[in-house]
Amino acid sequence: MSVEMTAPETAPRLATAKDYFDLLKPRIMGLVVFTAFAGLVAAVGITGQGINPLLAAVSILAVALGSGAAGALNMWYDADIDAVMSRTSTRPIPSGAVPRDEALALGLIMSGVSVLLMWIASNVLAAGLLALSIAYYGWFYTIVLKRRTAQNIVIGGAAGAFPPVIGWAAVTGSTPLDAWILFAIIFIWTPPHFWALSLVAHKEYKKAGVPMLPVTNGAKATRNQILLYTLLLAPVGLWPVATGLAGILYGVTTTVLTVGFIYYAIKLWRSEAGGPEAGAEERKLAMSMFGFSILYLFGLFAALIIEHGFGLYFPLGGF
Amino acid sequence: MSESVQISEEARVKAQKRRNVWLAWALVAFVVIVGLTTAIRIQETDFSGGDRLYFSGYLDEAQKEDADREAQARYEEMRAAEAEQTDSSEQPDE
Repeated sequence: MSVEMTAPETAPRLATAKDYFDLLKPRIMGLVVFTAFAGLVAAVGITGQGINPLLAAVSILAVALGSGAAGALNMWYDADIDAVMSRTSTRPIPSGAVPRDEALALGLIMSGVSVLLMWIASNVLAAGLLALSIAYYGWFYTIVLKRRTAQNIVIGGAAGAFPPVIGWAAVTGSTPLDAWILFAIIFIWTPPHFWALSLVAHKEYKKAGVPMLPVTNGAKATRNQILLYTLLLAPVGLWPVATGLAGILYGVTTTVLTVGFIYYAIKLWRSEAGGPEAGAEERKLAMSMFGFSILYLFGLFAALIIEHGFGLYFPLGGF
Repeated sequence: MSESVQISEEARVKAQKRRNVWLAWALVAFVVIVGLTTAIRIQETDFSGGDRLYFSGYLDEAQKEDADREAQARYEEMRAAEAEQTDSSEQPDE
């Protein structure tokens, strides 16, 4: 799909520290750091292996820097489409605050620094996984997938799923099944999370020529896919209880949040959200689903941290 | 939409200087973090293995070697105990 794009003319303005901080996509960074920390805490709790608190803090800092680097690389490459979409037109590059080259330089330097810090603070496996996740988001998702396929979010979702595996590897130097279960939760969670937002912003994506699912397959197909992935997420979310990775607190939290997530998905599925008939009500519903999906992931990983970090781990199963 | 301003040379230089200060602090932070991390890793490292370093997987090897040495010592102790027992049972009563 190719669309003629005309970026709005913006005169340059003085960059502030906030502009450079925004370049790192701080909200995504927050979730990435949180899930990496959960992976780290769960690894300590399950394996009994310890990690020096300062080394753990540096490892988490490295994950944060890596996430920021990938965000800067994404903004560097996507500056043209960001300028076209009103939601992203105020970002540092399209608003004229930060030159594209600076974003690229910042992204590349931070990538190197983050991987180096991770290697020094933990081990080569965690550093390698961090490098892989930066490349996956900054290059594979941003440059290869995003403008080519409607499955960009599904395949690209793996980039955001790496942090708990990296956190686990930082402690143990290995990535057992438990770590990959946490990966699977985020991987399956990403499509319904992002497609809920894209149901609201589909016109913008169309204008920018980005083949998001609502643009290529329509709103109904997107709502079907959201419901499908949400139903698939239900057993995957509870998988840690079966393996013994998580206990009662996690099980109860996940069950409640899963019911809520499915409720929103069904409500959205039955609505006209993203379609030509959609109004403010549907828009609000899609945004509620998007907001709840963040709460869902936060709740799951918070329960995992509380269980393993505060001695409240009472396993139900385990094989 | 974002506000747009005309940038004077003076304002540009001032902003550049401010950014340089931020960069300098970032570099200082990086040096401090690497220094602290290295200090902790050195404390955790057993250098009795010669020129091997922690990031070459030396600690794992060292742990394995320690376990092997302990197993060998236990084995030798057991053999010695067995030999002693045999000797005492073979000695004729006087």
